Amino acid sequence: MAPRTTNTRPAASSAATPGVKGLAIALGIVGLTLAVLAAPADANVLGPRAGHSPNADDIRTAYWVAIVVAALLILVINAALIAALVRFRARRGLTPKRLAAGPGAFMRPAVPLAAIAIGLFVFGVVITSDARDVQPTTSQGLNASNDLVAQAGGLTVPADAKPLEINVVGQRWLWRFDYPQTLNQPPYSTFSYSELVVPVHTTVILHVTSTDVDHRWFIPALGGQVEAVPGHETETWFRADSKGVYPGQSTAYSGTSYAVMRAWVRVVSPQQYQQFVKQKRREIAAAQDYVQKAVQQGAATGAATP
Amino acid sequence: MSPPTAVAPARPEIVTEELPRRRPAWVERATSTNHKSVGILYLGAALFFAAIAVVELVLLRVQLIVPENTAIQPQIFDRIMSTFGVTAVVLFAIPLAFGLIAYVVPLQIGSRGVAFPRLNLLSFWLYLVGAATIYGSLLYRPSEAGFAALPPLSENVFLNTRGVDTWVVGTALAVLGFVCFSVNLVVTLHNMRAPGMAWRRVPLFTWAAGISGYLMLVIGPVMLAALTMLFIDRHYGGVFFNAGEGGAPLLYEHLAWFFFTGVYMLVLVFAAGVISDVLPTFARKPLFSHRAAMISMLAIAVLGPLAWMQNMYTAPIGFSFETFAMVFALALTIPVGLLIFNWIATLWDGTLHTRAAPLFAIGAISALSVGLAVELAISVIAVGWQLDNTTAAQAATTSVFVGGMVLGGFSALHYWFPKLTGRTMGEGLGKASLGLTLLGLYVYVLMAFLAGVKAQPVDIYKFFGDAGLDGFNLAASIGAFVLAIGILLELGNAAYSYRNGVRAGHDPWRGATLEWFTLSPPPEHNFDAVPDVRSAEPLRDIRRAIQDRTASWRPPPPPEPVEPPASEPEPVEAASAEEAGGEGTAGGAPVA
Repeated sequence: MAPRTTNTRPAASSAATPGVKGLAIALGIVGLTLAVLAAPADANVLGPRAGHSPNADDIRTAYWVAIVVAALLILVINAALIAALVRFRARRGLTPKRLAAGPGAFMRPAVPLAAIAIGLFVFGVVITSDARDVQPTTSQGLNASNDLVAQAGGLTVPADAKPLEINVVGQRWLWRFDYPQTLNQPPYSTFSYSELVVPVHTTVILHVTSTDVDHRWFIPALGGQVEAVPGHETETWFRADSKGVYPGQSTAYSGTSYAVMRAWVRVVSPQQYQQFVKQKRREIAAAQDYVQKAVQQGAATGAATP
Repeated sequence: MSPPTAVAPARPEIVTEELPRRRPAWVERATSTNHKSVGILYLGAALFFAAIAVVELVLLRVQLIVPENTAIQPQIFDRIMSTFGVTAVVLFAIPLAFGLIAYVVPLQIGSRGVAFPRLNLLSFWLYLVGAATIYGSLLYRPSEAGFAALPPLSENVFLNTRGVDTWVVGTALAVLGFVCFSVNLVVTLHNMRAPGMAWRRVPLFTWAAGISGYLMLVIGPVMLAALTMLFIDRHYGGVFFNAGEGGAPLLYEHLAWFFFTGVYMLVLVFAAGVISDVLPTFARKPLFSHRAAMISMLAIAVLGPLAWMQNMYTAPIGFSFETFAMVFALALTIPVGLLIFNWIATLWDGTLHTRAAPLFAIGAISALSVGLAVELAISVIAVGWQLDNTTAAQAATTSVFVGGMVLGGFSALHYWFPKLTGRTMGEGLGKASLGLTLLGLYVYVLMAFLAGVKAQPVDIYKFFGDAGLDGFNLAASIGAFVLAIGILLELGNAAYSYRNGVRAGHDPWRGATLEWFTLSPPPEHNFDAVPDVRSAEPLRDIRRAIQDRTASWRPPPPPEPVEPPASEPEPVEAASAEEAGGEGTAGGAPVA
């Protein structure tokens, strides 16, 4: 509809002139084409680094969809702004048209905006649920003996998941990992610091908490951030699809050395994992023995215990 | 008056012993309850803290130029970072909005003052004492508790320093001041609008101010409660946020995020008010839809704060609460999008006079669109898991804050500076500042965003070389420096123009709202006569009435044909356009 212009009260108009619409559409198409062409080449620059777990892949899908919608919105708005700025400057002999919105003028922009909002909402719910659905361990993974699944917060755990459950405890400024206990003999806990070792192709459920202040567990290749809050247990999961070391870093400010609160997840084969656990148990048992002996000796000789 | 005769009759006389003593100008300024004086105080303080915040930002970015930089010690970095957050949001953004509101809104509604002038002044001093309290801790040891002082970190167990206490008390004092300010603002708006100024006719900046006032009345006390609880935890054995004793650390997160999300919406609504007043004035055409802009702003203020849990997607709050937050965060798309549509439609077919004020406003729309579109993406829960608390989310927030408060605020400053001082701000300097600010902002935002997508966390005092983010960080730092130069340039522009700017007339922009009906700067009582308001553009009506009357005015028929007719039709001046200075000349002479 062409804007009617009068000198008295504003006339009704509900749409921009065709030229502008054409310009906006053309810019949109050009932008989209460029984005599609550039995406494979520049995905490394414009997006997160590759994911190695089903939930991380879901997050990447969500990122690309949402960021393309955002980029299109930015493009359309700024193109229209620049067009308006260039075309409608004050010039000699030009009088402004006092056009104002008639009834229904806002329906045209409101419908696509509502469609974007609703579309992103539906998409968000679906993709988020998908990322929360724990995938079962595959046949190549560690056939974890315990099929006992503890309460796992917001996660949906299938019956055949056979997950490896690991407690992750944040403390200033490192992470402690408690591995599941399989043998009923000392040492009664198997743990490691800073580096988590897990078998490949195996579903791992992490129970994240903190003993002091808030931290955030974040290994970008293996899923999203979860907050470690004292007094709460937050669950997340991953199933690494290839061996390797995946770095990450806490993303919640926790005081002086927060920037060095890093963590690594080393993904190894199931056999290597079992060896690692055995090795760890031997080391811990040896260390506990040593300490116990030292304490006993100290007590025997009357020296001050450390 | 008849000429004095030789013998004057005796009559009562008023005798004064002396003139009321004139107090020093600064005392006058500090204690005047006039809303214009309070507004200037707020503005001065806000712009001062803008400069401080810019310096702090530069220091933070200097540290992040190269990986594992050791230029600034970790603890010093944390103190600067903690102070920067509160400076930018509580000491700069809100006071800048409130300063302009305090000055302009009573003028826009054709009022001679405000409802509670002393409360208004008190609010400023509470804010300034709060700011002094926070910055007083520079003398010993500022807070290291981070941007929002989230417990448990801000509990006594982990940070047993008085810096955190000054942070808590100072922020609380400032927020208390803002609540006092809002009480006065809301009452003024309800009771003191000019006759005929129905709500549908109030200027959009005033509408935004009213929404900001109500918003602050809702969110301010929530933050006050959170800070009080934190203080009780720290000093009086409270366990509100102590998980070990049965408290809930997440409670503070909820309360603080409700406040900061509300402030975010306040920034948006304020910028929307400024842009909606500036663009029509310079495009010489009314806003595309006054009513739609009003509804959009209201919708932002209602929906926005309800999305506070958008910041807590990673916390153990459950899928249903996260979805609840996502609903409101995504719903904001519609009012924000309609506002932007409204502005572009206002520019369309207009005749834009490309002065600094509308250009700043257009820059603000652009920066807001960038920041808000990225926020839209982050509102999807799964994307939030990836980007929350990374520099990507920080870049989006920066774009919105700089777009809304710096560019929007500078647009307002350019627009109303002639009203405040009778002088215009430097146009060339303003445009140069706009260019630098936008350029720096976009370089910074893009680079910080890309680094954040690759999981660079916020608030870190150093990043590691093996993260592969050296180039992004270097470019982001350069962008931040250019941004800083742009902002400082404009602050210098304002400081210089305050006394040395080019003199402007009383109505340099041909504005359509009532503040341009009076002198620049306005007299103590604002208006001699308050006109009846008949539309959303009262001054346009007045101009047209004057035009009609002058056009139809004919000189009265000459009584004598010998007399020459009146040469020029005299323009009928608006009643208030006379200097209110008639009494100062004769009445003041003391009688000894």
